[in-house]
Amino acid sequence: MAVVDVNAWVGSWPSQSINAGAAEVRGMLKGVGVERIFMAPLDAAWAQNPHLPNDLVYDAAQRWADVHPVPIIDPTIATWKGEVDRAQRHSGVRLVKWLPAYAGYELAAADECAQALVEADLSLMVQTRIEDPRGQHPLAQVPDVPVQEGSDLARRHPELTVVIGGVPWSVIASYADTCRELRNLYFDVSQADGMDSLSVLIHSGMGDQLLYGSHAPLFVPLAGIARIVADVDEVEAAAILGGHAEKLLGLTA
Amino acid sequence: MATLGELRARVLPPCPALDVHVHPLSCFSPYRIESVEQDVRCLREAAQRSGVTKVCVFSLHPTCPREPTVAQCQEANDYVLRMRDLAPDFFLPFCYVNPMYPGESVVEIRRCVGEEGMVGVKLWVSRRATDPGLDPIVGESVAQDVPILQHAWRKTTGNLEGESTPGDVAHLARRHPRARIIMAHLNGCNPRGIEEVADCPNIFIDTSGGDPERGVVELAVARLGARRVLYGSDAPIRHFGVSLAKVLGAELSDSVRRELLWNNAARLLPARAGVGVI
Repeated sequence: MAVVDVNAWVGSWPSQSINAGAAEVRGMLKGVGVERIFMAPLDAAWAQNPHLPNDLVYDAAQRWADVHPVPIIDPTIATWKGEVDRAQRHSGVRLVKWLPAYAGYELAAADECAQALVEADLSLMVQTRIEDPRGQHPLAQVPDVPVQEGSDLARRHPELTVVIGGVPWSVIASYADTCRELRNLYFDVSQADGMDSLSVLIHSGMGDQLLYGSHAPLFVPLAGIARIVADVDEVEAAAILGGHAEKLLGLTA
Repeated sequence: MATLGELRARVLPPCPALDVHVHPLSCFSPYRIESVEQDVRCLREAAQRSGVTKVCVFSLHPTCPREPTVAQCQEANDYVLRMRDLAPDFFLPFCYVNPMYPGESVVEIRRCVGEEGMVGVKLWVSRRATDPGLDPIVGESVAQDVPILQHAWRKTTGNLEGESTPGDVAHLARRHPRARIIMAHLNGCNPRGIEEVADCPNIFIDTSGGDPERGVVELAVARLGARRVLYGSDAPIRHFGVSLAKVLGAELSDSVRRELLWNNAARLLPARAGVGVI
């Protein structure tokens, strides 16, 4: 089965002494069986201009065909339209990412950018959490983005594929009804920890809207694989590990 | 392109794994649990799918009360004894006590450990480990020759009242140098917490709780030594396999992994647990 990681990062996270270049991240993910890597720049979270670290992922995509850049788009930066244009021009970009908690905007204020993504035929990941708030540096506390804002965005923009990233499994489970209604809403399961969590989500009808993400290099890459392959049958595992992402992000011929 | 079987093989441990931190599904189940038999079956099957061989189990009572009464602790312990009786080759029960009731807790430890053969003591978070109210309980655990599992966390968002930090646990360990203390939640204790217990050789950290952050297990082994870090999951709150991945995915030798996954727990548990070093 093809394993597609929709939520990998590259770069540094000082409070956890993480500093991993693209070669290192790619190596650790290949080591656990990942074949396609959707890579976003971690340094963007704390950058005054989150667009500048995007060069890291564009450079990585030039070196390796299995790396897809996931540039950060920040609608509060005056030149965000140019950054969307840059993403649209790059053949490897299928997904862009928003970090609203770190840039300090509400999703309701980003509709113009969301519409621009629709017109550029790009999908969107909204990262709701990078770190568990309990473990954040005391002088760098960032609350989670409410998932409701993400589902409201998906409702307002039915042509936009919205992947919500970094959500705990019990919160994902509470969106089962919403997922039935909004077929353009997806969740990455990189932080969906808990015994039988994937089985419960599949049982509640959300299986078609779950995507594998590793959250590497912040998380041990093996962890995200383990929660899927231990508990889920072959068909569902293949779909969550890569099948859904291949269709959604246009990776199949 | 890997098959599911190949991916499954990658996430399994290379040796038997003993999980020192597990709760019954009746406490934290993602689905409804109708009986202790179902609890045993589901918990055991999930553990074994991830390659876990045995587990230390302790109930926090099905209602997980903020201040469990003596009777609720007794009920919780009776439940875990039933789990042990249904699967004695899999469950290693710990006695759950609330340090708000030191005298009653000592009596309960004598019943559960001394008479019923439980192999450890789990303290509820009602009092910080600096509180002398814990002393009679720790003293009885030493007398019964069983380890004590003490929750700890360093929460940026603020600990609960009575919830210990690693520094508090170090205080407890220094008061009771003969006690064998398993400090729970390595990732919750974070790198500062590792330093706070570094000079307490009778504190051992379990890997349970928190996210599977990269590098933390390696750091704990580097700072404390390979014999003071143990595999624990905090299942069913956390996934057995995700927690195992913290150890399997860490940059450690196979011999060190074996210490974390089995031998360190085997050395801490009393002989009657029947768990030998491999």
